[in-house]
Amino acid sequence: MTSGVVNLEPVVTRPDAAVESVAHTLASRSADVEDLVRNAWAKTMHPVPGVALAATGGFGRGELFPHSDVDLLIVVESESQIPPIREPLSAFLQKLWDAELRPSHAIQTVTYCASEHEDNVELSISLLDRRFLAGDVAMFQFLDERFTAFAAKRKGTLSRWLARMTEARRAKFQNTIYHLEPDLKNSPGALRDLQTVRWLAALRQQTVDVAASFEFLAGLRIRLHEIAGRDHNVLSFDAQEAIATDSAALMRDYFRHARVVDREVLKALEAANAEPGNLLGRFHDWRSRLSTTEFTVSRDRVFLREHIRPAGLRLFEFAARHELKLAADTVDRLTAYQQNNWETTWDDWKALLSTPKPSFGLRAMQASGALTSVLPEWARIESLVVRDFYHRYTVDEHTLVAITSLESIRDARFAGLFAEIPDPWIVRFALLLHDIGKGSGTEHVAESSAIADEILDRLEGPEADRAAVEFLVRNHLELSSVMTARDLEDDATSLLLAARVETVERLKQLTMITYADITAVNPDAMTPWRLEQLWRVYLAGYRALTAGLYSERIHHAESDALSAFLEGLPVRYLRTHSPAQIDSHFELARQLESRPVAIEITHDRRIYVLTLLTRDRTGLFAAIAGTISAFGLNILKAEAFSNAQGVIVDTFTFADGNRTLELNPTEVDRLRGLVRRVAEGRQDAAQLLRARPKPLLPSRQARLKPSVTLSNDASETATLIEIVAEDRPGLLYDLSRAIAAAECNIEVVLIDTEAHKALDVFYVTSGGGKLDAACSARLQDVLRAACSGDSK
Amino acid sequence: MKKIEAVIQPHKLEEVKEAMKGIGIDGMTVTEVRGHGRQKGHKEIYRGMEYQVDLLPKIKLEMVVPDVRMEEVVRTLAMSARTGKIGDGKIFVYEVVEAIRIRNDDRGEAAL
Repeated sequence: MTSGVVNLEPVVTRPDAAVESVAHTLASRSADVEDLVRNAWAKTMHPVPGVALAATGGFGRGELFPHSDVDLLIVVESESQIPPIREPLSAFLQKLWDAELRPSHAIQTVTYCASEHEDNVELSISLLDRRFLAGDVAMFQFLDERFTAFAAKRKGTLSRWLARMTEARRAKFQNTIYHLEPDLKNSPGALRDLQTVRWLAALRQQTVDVAASFEFLAGLRIRLHEIAGRDHNVLSFDAQEAIATDSAALMRDYFRHARVVDREVLKALEAANAEPGNLLGRFHDWRSRLSTTEFTVSRDRVFLREHIRPAGLRLFEFAARHELKLAADTVDRLTAYQQNNWETTWDDWKALLSTPKPSFGLRAMQASGALTSVLPEWARIESLVVRDFYHRYTVDEHTLVAITSLESIRDARFAGLFAEIPDPWIVRFALLLHDIGKGSGTEHVAESSAIADEILDRLEGPEADRAAVEFLVRNHLELSSVMTARDLEDDATSLLLAARVETVERLKQLTMITYADITAVNPDAMTPWRLEQLWRVYLAGYRALTAGLYSERIHHAESDALSAFLEGLPVRYLRTHSPAQIDSHFELARQLESRPVAIEITHDRRIYVLTLLTRDRTGLFAAIAGTISAFGLNILKAEAFSNAQGVIVDTFTFADGNRTLELNPTEVDRLRGLVRRVAEGRQDAAQLLRARPKPLLPSRQARLKPSVTLSNDASETATLIEIVAEDRPGLLYDLSRAIAAAECNIEVVLIDTEAHKALDVFYVTSGGGKLDAACSARLQDVLRAACSGDSK
Repeated sequence: MKKIEAVIQPHKLEEVKEAMKGIGIDGMTVTEVRGHGRQKGHKEIYRGMEYQVDLLPKIKLEMVVPDVRMEEVVRTLAMSARTGKIGDGKIFVYEVVEAIRIRNDDRGEAAL
């Protein structure tokens, strides 16, 4: 025993004596109570033929805890025997109460006991541990025979009912063993689960060895009862300290045993639910069509086809993608495979964490021990108890709950915000690592950052992604502290926030990290109060960042060529591009020495990015947007910047929904050529678009009402236009063309899409300055018309 | 005895707690509340969509002090919670009829 338990004498301190002591304590308590009950029965109940007294539940098993209820069953042959025994029975129970016992009794006929009652499953289950105490022994034997026959015949039904009860109880504890203050009776992985394993084995006439965990858990529960002086089963922080000198070690031991029990009970529940005749089971069988050459899916569980460990994280990505759990057999096999080196790549993690519900995969990794195998640093926070008043879970569980919380965001504002994040897997990866430095004894944010750095280096991901994850881990407490310690009405707070997070993208990511981190503290932690405060923090940062998008420009003192290229670009350009991307843009800029237009097209799966550098001219942005749309490609995101030399750096991110470019590589060259001709003014984009079929607009009911807002307060030198509209092919072309037609110049563009909603931000000028009222009103009208697809 | 109830700006909580500690007032109940006074709510515009924020997050403090300390506590509280802007909050003072310490049945100021 490693928990440093010193106050458990004589129960669990000495390993050799522990087994005997726990069993002895429970048996002797049962025997003492049995004597009391028999005496009380003899003194109050006259022998009546056909009436017997039986012990059930824990008392029936001879495992009575010091202050547990004493479960009794009075068995009668027929209901007509009940009225005459009521009075003496009352005196019998009174005597037990006087003896400071807590009897919990039921009176039933044998027929009732040996039949199915879906509304009283507890009775059937308690009868599995029946034992004769007093009264008519023949009556008890009759019950024994009838119930044995009933249980044998209906074992499938009883197993499924027991499984259902167990699942409902476990759900009340969020289905996790990792509570900082677990309930030793009812928590997942505790004694009730352990007993369920025994019951389900008994129904199938099998045996199961959970003795070691029973001794540990029962020993703790005995001690808890002794300390509290009542049937109190929550292993609170105070109790942990009262029981052990090293409470952290005690809890590590607790979780080790709870994990064993948890795994056994899940295995037993899986078997119970797989009993033939289970309607739900049959319903789930259809999912077996998900099976692949590597994995078989049966009854919502994933089995391995081969006796080898699947490479990388494929198994877990599969489980996550189809929202499945691993079969018990799969967990057992993975546990056996763990000794080998299990290497994963950046792409493995990206694929797993990009699924809509990665928690299925991560939970499967946790259950099989794979998480620690592929990420050895995870062992630092496994079952780690860090005490504070608010946290309910161990650090590892808190982390997984945080990631899960992003899979069903109830608040529409935050759900919308998360949907706007293009790489949600970055947020999830940062959450996975955000508390990994806890328990080191030093300040956890710095420690988590240092460990995250090592992991990110090892996985060798792209620099920009690594920087994003690292930033989020290092700053994961920033917004929480702003929420409580800063005046959100003060402009200084917004500016400070903007300076810390630097870009709207990072602000969104950090807001969602904070949302998840608070939500995972305990089920009630994300109060409407905190939700509102967090949203206010987000808005404060968003405003400061969007206002600074355009007005802050880069000014370099040095005179080298790179500085000349960067001179005059908005500061946002530096913040949103990695050094590698900037280098690549700079290379394109050098091409302008020998040609008027430089173009680069890259792609990641079906998402393409077109970068264009050339001299700015009116309507250019609209023309390029139109060219891309004319190709049948859907623009998801666009940015336009210009430097002091009048060179524009435009990037268009678009989806190749029809796989035109993917299946016809020569089309990429054709697109490049077309963009070049349009940029050089040798081809008219409007003409290209005329050849395209007019896109179908959604029905009027489903259509989003477009909103066009103009503001002269957001920037010092330009007018901000914010547009929210139903997205459609060619929308960006229509909007930018309308702006150009109104003789306004687009200075900065940020285009984003969220499902079918386009979220577009333009910074525009007219005659070198902000738009006047008349021009603003005119532009608002034409933009509204453009949103509706009514522009000519 | 007087019960002092104050609704303050969330970011002022730490300062108020420190100030209270400075004059020897350690006990208080803190609740996260939402509401508005004359500050009313305001309209937020985000992404071109306008929505009304009626109930702003605030912090409610409650403490019971002997009569003689009431003025000092109110003064300290007001000073530490003040920013001078709308929305700083309010302080209310009530008469307390009795105080009982549940543990040992102490009564009156001895129970504070």
